Amino acid sequence: MFKLRSEAAKGYTLSAPATAYVGFLVAAPLIILIAYSFWSQTYVTLDKSLTLKNYREALADPLVHHLMLRSIWIAGAVTLTTVALAYPIAYFIAMKARKKTIWLLLITIPFWSSYLLRVFAWKLILGFNGVMNSALLGMGLIDEPLSFLLYNEFAVVLTLAHAWAPFAILPIYVSLQKIDPSLLEAATDLGNTPVQRFLRVTLPLTVQGIIAACLIIFIPTVGDYVTPALVGGSDGKMIANLIQVQFGAANNWPLGATLSLLAMMSVGFVAIVFVIAGRGVGRRIR
Amino acid sequence: MTEKNIIEMKAVEKRYGSFRAASDIDLELKEGEFFSLLGPSGCGKTTVLRMIAGFQEPSRGSILIDGQDMAGVPANNRPTNMVFQSYAIFPHLNVANNVAYGLRGKVPKAEIDARVTEVLEMVELGGLHRRGANELSGGQRQRVALARALIMRPKVLLLDEPLSALDKKLREQMQFEMRNLQQSLGITFVMVTHDQYEAMTMSDRIGVMFDGRLMQIDTPATLYARPCNRAVASFIGEMNILPALLMEEGNSLLLIDAAGFGRMQIERNPNASGHARDILVGIRPEQLEIKAEKPADYPATVQGTVSNVAFYGENIHYHVAVDGIDTLMAVSVPNYFHTVDFNRGDAVWLGLQEASVIDLGKDK
Repeated sequence: MFKLRSEAAKGYTLSAPATAYVGFLVAAPLIILIAYSFWSQTYVTLDKSLTLKNYREALADPLVHHLMLRSIWIAGAVTLTTVALAYPIAYFIAMKARKKTIWLLLITIPFWSSYLLRVFAWKLILGFNGVMNSALLGMGLIDEPLSFLLYNEFAVVLTLAHAWAPFAILPIYVSLQKIDPSLLEAATDLGNTPVQRFLRVTLPLTVQGIIAACLIIFIPTVGDYVTPALVGGSDGKMIANLIQVQFGAANNWPLGATLSLLAMMSVGFVAIVFVIAGRGVGRRIR
Repeated sequence: MTEKNIIEMKAVEKRYGSFRAASDIDLELKEGEFFSLLGPSGCGKTTVLRMIAGFQEPSRGSILIDGQDMAGVPANNRPTNMVFQSYAIFPHLNVANNVAYGLRGKVPKAEIDARVTEVLEMVELGGLHRRGANELSGGQRQRVALARALIMRPKVLLLDEPLSALDKKLREQMQFEMRNLQQSLGITFVMVTHDQYEAMTMSDRIGVMFDGRLMQIDTPATLYARPCNRAVASFIGEMNILPALLMEEGNSLLLIDAAGFGRMQIERNPNASGHARDILVGIRPEQLEIKAEKPADYPATVQGTVSNVAFYGENIHYHVAVDGIDTLMAVSVPNYFHTVDFNRGDAVWLGLQEASVIDLGKDK
């Protein structure tokens, strides 16, 4: 008993620096944000009396609704695309590839350049005079440059899916890697074709990995600001762009704080519903 | 057991590059037989089992199950089921769903439920339907694996070291249970094991494998009494092996001069692969009588010194150093008081009946 206590104490001591760091850099700003959301601002004067005005204003504004729904829709599309493309890659590395380390290293290559550079690279590829259009023109497949490639939702989804791919591949790879190969042989032995075996053993045993991948991608992409700003055009703007405006040009920090908190709550709600639904589906497969 | 062959393997070989995991495998298994593949690890016994299951294709030769050639038939279409060494219980399914796994989509639900209940009763897991896969003990996992395979009513049940993960007491209990189950169901069981006692107590016949080859296929008693060579003789039970000179070779008897013991007449072993001037003979330790005085009623005797004593409870193992030959081992049953009759350093005599000397053929 005494020993157990000292073990626990040791654990707290070891995690104390990280706890302090996180506490200071996450909890403190969050508290400030919450405080701001209940204050109000008229031009440059900040009124610190508590009010629900910002929430009323934000919830009644159709633009906020529209941008929030679009953000969730784009993040959902990014998540779906990324996970659907990442699963086969993770499956290949975990089940088929011989040199797993090399493959995993190759997957991290996009991270060797900065996020911003990658977004700009997509801009160069998809732009009006970009790589894609020049190539298609050069091959004579089109007569004039395609304009639907850049500055819309499609460009945002494409860019984000590329940027987040490794984050989807890794958790799915780990969950595939953990599957005991004799389970797959047992399924075959009991009469399953490879497809049945995948649906009844491999997929249910990787549900946790898929859920983790979805959350890792969905949560940050809802609030992504750089990609929609650079490749989204007016059709691809998301909630984070509106929030940025409140803290910048509009100079309405209380409304910006309120929008941030509302966005966080929406994301949290969607994520919780998703986790519960995902687990339920995983459990129903027999 | 019937006379019908349920499995026939003809000149089967499995190669990985230049390495031969199994070669010249010729095997005929009768319907309803309990057959064991016995051998040290890496001898190729699991490869043979996996070729029958369809997880590996033979490089050469053919495998017939119930008269049908299995070439090109994938594992999921073979009339065999397997109990895996790790048991391979699906961790996301409860006991009933694990057991029902192979029937889903093929058999009406009501029949599945009835068969699951029946087979769970059979392996003494009645009522554990809803128990989660991760809440099972080692013995229960083994039973679930057995039930999951048996519910498919396979023509052949394949067992890959099915008892190796269990503790000794449970293992012995399961040996009898599985043997009883096999006899009441009449299904052919093919078991891979490295444990000679497991193979001896459960099997109708045993195939002993070394270096990818089937050395001898026989009943447990014949394997023990008439092993075909030195390797089999020393793998099954304990065996003292002595060199001997073949003096006269008859059709059923051999006149030999065995090292240490001298001239004697022994029975010719029909399983031995051949004879030459130099042969080997084997003596089971329990056939050596250990005495303080030269035993009068034994035709062959040798004198030595006790070099080691091991008391096992039900018997005592004596190692006796004899001039000119390897140390001999003698096993005797303890006296009424369970005390050891001889101690290290004691001078003793070992007596032997000619009939108990086993001809192991020419010394390679």
